[in-house]
Amino acid sequence: MAATNVRSSSFSRNISVVSSPQIPGLKCGPNGTTFISTGIRDLDRILGGGYPLGSLVMVMEDPEAPHHMDLLRTFMSQGLVNSQPLLYASPSKDPRGFLGTLPHPASSKEDKPTAPDPDQGESLRIAWQYRKYMENQKNSIDDYSNDFDMRKPLERQFLSGRPIDCVSLLDSSDLSVAQDHCATFLSKFPRNSSSIASVGRIAIQSFCSPLCEYSDKESDMLSFIRLLKSMLMVSNAVAIVTFPPSMLSPSSSKRLQHMADTLLSIKAIPDGDKELEKLLTGYKDINGFLNVHKVARINTQVPVILDAKTFSMSLKKRRFLALECLNQAPVDGSSGTSYGTSGSCSGSSKSGALDF
Amino acid sequence: MADSIFRKLRDGGEEGELAPALTIEETVASPFALDVSGYLLANLSSSILAGKSKSQGLVLITFSRSPSFYLQFLKQKGIVVSSSAKWIRILDCYTDPLGWIDQPSTEGSSLVKLHKCVSDLKRLFSSIIEAGRELVGDGKTRFYVAIDSVNELLRHSSMPLVSGLLTDLRSHAQVSSLFWSLNTDLHQEKVTNALEYISTMKANLEPLCPSSDEKRNALENLFLVHQDFGKGRFHVRFKLRKGRVRVMSEEYHVDQMGINFSPIASAETVIATTKSLLPKVQFNLQLSEKERVEKEKVVLPFEHQDHGKSTEIYDGRRSPADGKMEATPLSSGELETDMVSSGKGGEIIYFRDSDDEHPDSDEDPDDDLDI
Repeated sequence: MAATNVRSSSFSRNISVVSSPQIPGLKCGPNGTTFISTGIRDLDRILGGGYPLGSLVMVMEDPEAPHHMDLLRTFMSQGLVNSQPLLYASPSKDPRGFLGTLPHPASSKEDKPTAPDPDQGESLRIAWQYRKYMENQKNSIDDYSNDFDMRKPLERQFLSGRPIDCVSLLDSSDLSVAQDHCATFLSKFPRNSSSIASVGRIAIQSFCSPLCEYSDKESDMLSFIRLLKSMLMVSNAVAIVTFPPSMLSPSSSKRLQHMADTLLSIKAIPDGDKELEKLLTGYKDINGFLNVHKVARINTQVPVILDAKTFSMSLKKRRFLALECLNQAPVDGSSGTSYGTSGSCSGSSKSGALDF
Repeated sequence: MADSIFRKLRDGGEEGELAPALTIEETVASPFALDVSGYLLANLSSSILAGKSKSQGLVLITFSRSPSFYLQFLKQKGIVVSSSAKWIRILDCYTDPLGWIDQPSTEGSSLVKLHKCVSDLKRLFSSIIEAGRELVGDGKTRFYVAIDSVNELLRHSSMPLVSGLLTDLRSHAQVSSLFWSLNTDLHQEKVTNALEYISTMKANLEPLCPSSDEKRNALENLFLVHQDFGKGRFHVRFKLRKGRVRVMSEEYHVDQMGINFSPIASAETVIATTKSLLPKVQFNLQLSEKERVEKEKVVLPFEHQDHGKSTEIYDGRRSPADGKMEATPLSSGELETDMVSSGKGGEIIYFRDSDDEHPDSDEDPDDDLDI
């Protein structure tokens, strides 16, 4: 085999990576976009680099599973580790308390979950021609993204002295307070043709939670998101908003989904389901499913067609969040839904189709 | 399963975590949520009295039945509540929820407290906590909270306020667990979803035969509904800590004495499992009856068909010599041409490789490979 370009994986699309810009934590992407890391290496890879600056990410929650919090946590921690200012809003009385649950980056001394063992022995002779590919997989210390140890809380050094703004969505009966906070925050990162000075991250949790007083004013919520999106387009920031779609009327939920640049959704996994256990390998470790509905495409009209849209979220070694492609089983075309989630839960209105 | 719900409620939540909360959903076709709450009430009361639970008190807020109904109900179950009972308090929001009756508050044992002004949820919250503190004191002992139905609460207050109240109750350190019931047909789906969002367990009652078929005769419908009225399925969804959902079901049966639960008849589960053993694929692996009959009829292109005659297979070439052979009727050949002409049924189109090939030569084509 002739000497080929060294790539991270021989089967992934080779996005031309220009040398990274001045600030750590940013990566140049195609079409003049710049990415920031999602906090989860697997998700960065799935989305083609990370979240592009100026995009709005929406995550549809499943009321039965708390995994959207993990996405928020890794997003926020990554921002703090890369010294990026953060604005956090949530429908709780003390949003600062959430900062105590942010994970710390895994230290390089510990075993990385995906590093293969190079000393396999002589028995696998055939595989050794791929050794040069395998060596590149070892996770080098990277200033763009980190693996987070979900069990270890973020150390003080990252929390103190960093500009973190916390807003409680319960404070006022409408969204004007949150709107003002977002506007002042985003005004610090204007986008202009000169180089990027700094980037910001906004995380809004459970935006349509039934606890918020504005939760029945759907047009107000839609206007807020529209405004947020328009402000983001002219600033160097990324906002991630999670919302439970069942709290909204179907039309408002569809509108919110449409406004997103990147749309993800979480689905809970039933426990003790024998069918799923047979169909999926590693069922015991899977905590939930993550569906990628839309991937942000900025400055281009070419859509991204993903190989797979559903990924399983699991904790490797109970610490590291990993997203894996499912070993897919073909869909039963006649019934229209894969896994009828077993006949016993017929009373639930949430047993929707798992999309493969 | 009702038993596991009861145990989860009895054990309460961990310190520092929100209390487990149960929503019991009923519909117009299966309006037995109050029976289920009664069942849970009776079990919780007996466990408090027997000292089996860590929590020492129970605060019951009644909206849809009077307090005397519940006292009577508990007596029926063998739990006598004296007026000086130290383990239960009832907040009466049934008699006069909006404060219309000007009643001198002379009567009223310490057991039952009349609560007016249901629309002020902050006051309701403080009365509940006060009642609970009367039972267990101010320290670390906890108490259960049971709201018999939130339908009336939602009538007087908006959804955010009601969910705020329930979440405040859940976050209070002295509340160990709480449950409420709801009729899903009376409210919008958003409301039901919101209540499910804030609860950790959801139970719903499903009637035995969902009579949604409107084409049926109305009388026939009524008869069926009446017959199966007290029976149905009881489904529970538990939200587990890891983010998984446990789903369980059983059958319920309501009679004079209350509600009984039994595991689902095994016949149906067997059917369910066998159905699920077939892999779900995009094509249908089973043959329909018609398809099977067609399959039997197809003639395979082997020269020796095992029925004593040699078969001529149409091999794509017509030669004058073969012309008359085609005319001779052969049992299977005729059938085959019939099928070909009619265009239906299964057939195998076989084109011979070469004219030199002797029929059924025993030569193994792999023989000339030189390994």
